[in-house]
Amino acid sequence: MDFEAVIGLEIHVELNCATKLFCDCPNRPGDEPNSNICPICLWFPGAIPRLSQAAVEKAALLCLGLGAELQPRSAFDQKVYYYPDLPKGYQLSQAHLPLSRGGGIEISDEHGKPKKLRIHHIHMEEDVAKLLHEMEGRQPISLVDFNRAGAPLVEIVTEPDFRTPYEAMEFLKALRTQVRYVGSSECSMENGTMRVDANISIRPCGSHQMNTKVEVKNMNSIRHVGDAIAYEISRQSAAVLAGEAIVLHTRLWDPDKKVTAPMRAKFEGPCVPDPAVPVIELSPDWIEKMRGRLPEMPAARAERFVKQHGLTGDEAVFLSADPEVAGYFEALTGEGVAPRTAMHWLTTQLLPAVKARGQELSRSPVTAARFAGLLNMLARDEINANAAREVLTHLFDSDAAPEAIISAKGFRQVSDQSVLDALINQVLAAQPAAVADLQAGQGKAMGFLIGQVMQASGGKANPKIIRELLAKKI
Amino acid sequence: MDSIFCYRHPETATAQAGPLQGLRLAIQPNFSVAGWPTDAGSRALAHFTALEDATLVERLRQAGVGLCGSIRMSEFGFGLASSQAGAALQQQAADAELVLDLMGESRLAAARAAVCGFKPSYGLVSRFGLIGLIPSMECCGLLSGSPNTIREMLKRIAGPDERDFSLPDEPVPDFSLPTITPPTTTIGVITEAQNPLSAEEQAQFRAALDELNRAGFNLRELSLPDFGLFSLVHRIVGSVEASSCAGRYDSVRYGKRAPGARNWNEMYRLSRGAAFGLLVKSYLFQGAFFQFERYDAYEDACRLRARLVADMQRLTGQVDFLVLPVAAARAAEALAEHYAQFATTLFANVTGQPALYLPPPSGAAQAGVQLAGPRLSDARLLALGEYLVNSRRRGNP
Repeated sequence: MDFEAVIGLEIHVELNCATKLFCDCPNRPGDEPNSNICPICLWFPGAIPRLSQAAVEKAALLCLGLGAELQPRSAFDQKVYYYPDLPKGYQLSQAHLPLSRGGGIEISDEHGKPKKLRIHHIHMEEDVAKLLHEMEGRQPISLVDFNRAGAPLVEIVTEPDFRTPYEAMEFLKALRTQVRYVGSSECSMENGTMRVDANISIRPCGSHQMNTKVEVKNMNSIRHVGDAIAYEISRQSAAVLAGEAIVLHTRLWDPDKKVTAPMRAKFEGPCVPDPAVPVIELSPDWIEKMRGRLPEMPAARAERFVKQHGLTGDEAVFLSADPEVAGYFEALTGEGVAPRTAMHWLTTQLLPAVKARGQELSRSPVTAARFAGLLNMLARDEINANAAREVLTHLFDSDAAPEAIISAKGFRQVSDQSVLDALINQVLAAQPAAVADLQAGQGKAMGFLIGQVMQASGGKANPKIIRELLAKKI
Repeated sequence: MDSIFCYRHPETATAQAGPLQGLRLAIQPNFSVAGWPTDAGSRALAHFTALEDATLVERLRQAGVGLCGSIRMSEFGFGLASSQAGAALQQQAADAELVLDLMGESRLAAARAAVCGFKPSYGLVSRFGLIGLIPSMECCGLLSGSPNTIREMLKRIAGPDERDFSLPDEPVPDFSLPTITPPTTTIGVITEAQNPLSAEEQAQFRAALDELNRAGFNLRELSLPDFGLFSLVHRIVGSVEASSCAGRYDSVRYGKRAPGARNWNEMYRLSRGAAFGLLVKSYLFQGAFFQFERYDAYEDACRLRARLVADMQRLTGQVDFLVLPVAAARAAEALAEHYAQFATTLFANVTGQPALYLPPPSGAAQAGVQLAGPRLSDARLLALGEYLVNSRRRGNP
């Protein structure tokens, strides 16, 4: 029997707000343990949560960026469970009235066909403390770090529209791009600012029924999400074929063994509205104001790159995936660099160089203005491509203008005919065999001869002029 | 004195200068005062010391009020069984008291002590620093010998607080004394509110209505057939809120942690089992039942609450004030009896409207009454109380 998987995702995204969701503590979970805490996020008796306006704004932008519809009224509920990571015994979450409903992302499926994956709703909630389980001698101990307690989260709950691990991975990549675009989160699964749970069930192909699902957690990369879903589909298929029933439960992905294993579920009940947190009321004006703050989203930007700059679809999608890269590209074209040159040099030279140095594009010393200066000299044949690559490494090491580096290091391209003539004559005299080959019609010899002249010039000769001169001479 | 106070403080002597200087205030240990033991009468908070002053405590201190100590309270202020509320006034050990009002405790305690007891409009006074059990029903009650003292205190504590964003964005009532003119003032009497009374209590209530009549007020009979539902709604919504909110009283960081647990699930179970008293425990059980087994009933109760709020708004729209009886406080062990004694007071906790208990004139064969008005009518309500107290003093009627 062939099975089809029905997959839905629950994605927690930690908002990059300066403060926590209900107090003024810094939202920096990585600091010295228990340094960013106060009576509110420790939930001391008498404390009252104070909803952060900034968090509502970041969450609203995220919703709008994903095409979701912000709700005029949303509210926080108490999600009861007893666990040491939650000192008040309930988590504040929007269980009944979420911040937004609807929305979705269009991806290309395995066959290149567009597929819309829908979002059911997006709600806000507070993060809980982090537990560290350690040994003190032979005694197991658990430590609690409250820096993360109360950190602002949104949870994106999708419809069960996914059929394959590939679709889930494509969705997550696109989601990450879009959330980065609106600036609400870095969405790094490695750093825990994006956490994904997958709900998976299977059914015979052609069936439309929804079967019992299994929740899988603990994947720390998009790749792992795909692997865990793939594993879970084959595990469930084998179980059904063996006549076993699928029961509702939660499993943890083990990235080393590449399997899922059952975990003990937390006790959870229905949520009760919290009277201490006021209802969030969003006016149509406010929603429109937030919509006005949305940047051009990646799909629209890619489309514009194709139309305006003549890039191919793939190039445009690649450049627009990261708002920094896309912005950098536009800064280069704004400085007069031809779009194709900008695209080519950015993707094949600058980005790998930035990455190799462990830098970020936005903080790299090679600003768009400096890089554009270099590329414009290349376009004017003042330097050649080899030299440009050399100069790029110097741009990382000094803050001098590219023109100054080129002059100081003598990278300026030699286009002077008399100088080049002399070099060519030298090479022709030294390479009679190659000259004979070329005269016999072997085109390959031309490349060799150009290379020899370039070498003789110390890499500074203008290869275009060499080619012209050589063609005349032979 | 120790039978009344669980903590005494010599601050009364060192109060700040201010309009209320010289006023000695006793509080319950569920109102946070920095450095004071603040256990809300529960073992679940044993040895907890508040870090900061509650907003209302801070504001009263700034107005010159001196805090003289904490009076014994029932667990989380729930009921009056082991509460000494009102006793510090009776013993003249204090001039005013702060008493948590979840179902009518401040008004029944005032009746017990023959003083005035006031429950302000919900949302008028910051709840920051207030430790309670039923967030949507409870607020601080004020007890004092005269409505005027209560008005002076309320004036200082009412209004927005940047530490309590749950306060609705509403204009603060004008606390300058409104004029009460009986011939143009109509007071409504809800017929069904007298149902829980004994025959003797009904007669005493009628005697109290006679006093209003003699003073020249217009009385008008009103009917609210669903008056009995206040109790049901309070019981379901209140217990569910309590069950959910009491999650923070887990005896992990403070309170009494029970020994012998083998893992943390057991630690929660044993500690919470040992910490809560019988009444609160049965209330939490009841709330957990509705939350986990009958959530639909909880949702129905919430809808019913909205309907009752609208019903009361309709009634208060027809008159200037309401007058309701107060049944005498009785000792109660079981939840049903416990609720029965608050049958005529808990309407104000369900709707959030203000209510003032006014004791009878000394020596009169009439009951004290509960005066109520729409939300945010606090100043007018206290002015009415003041008017009645003054007219008694003038000997008329």
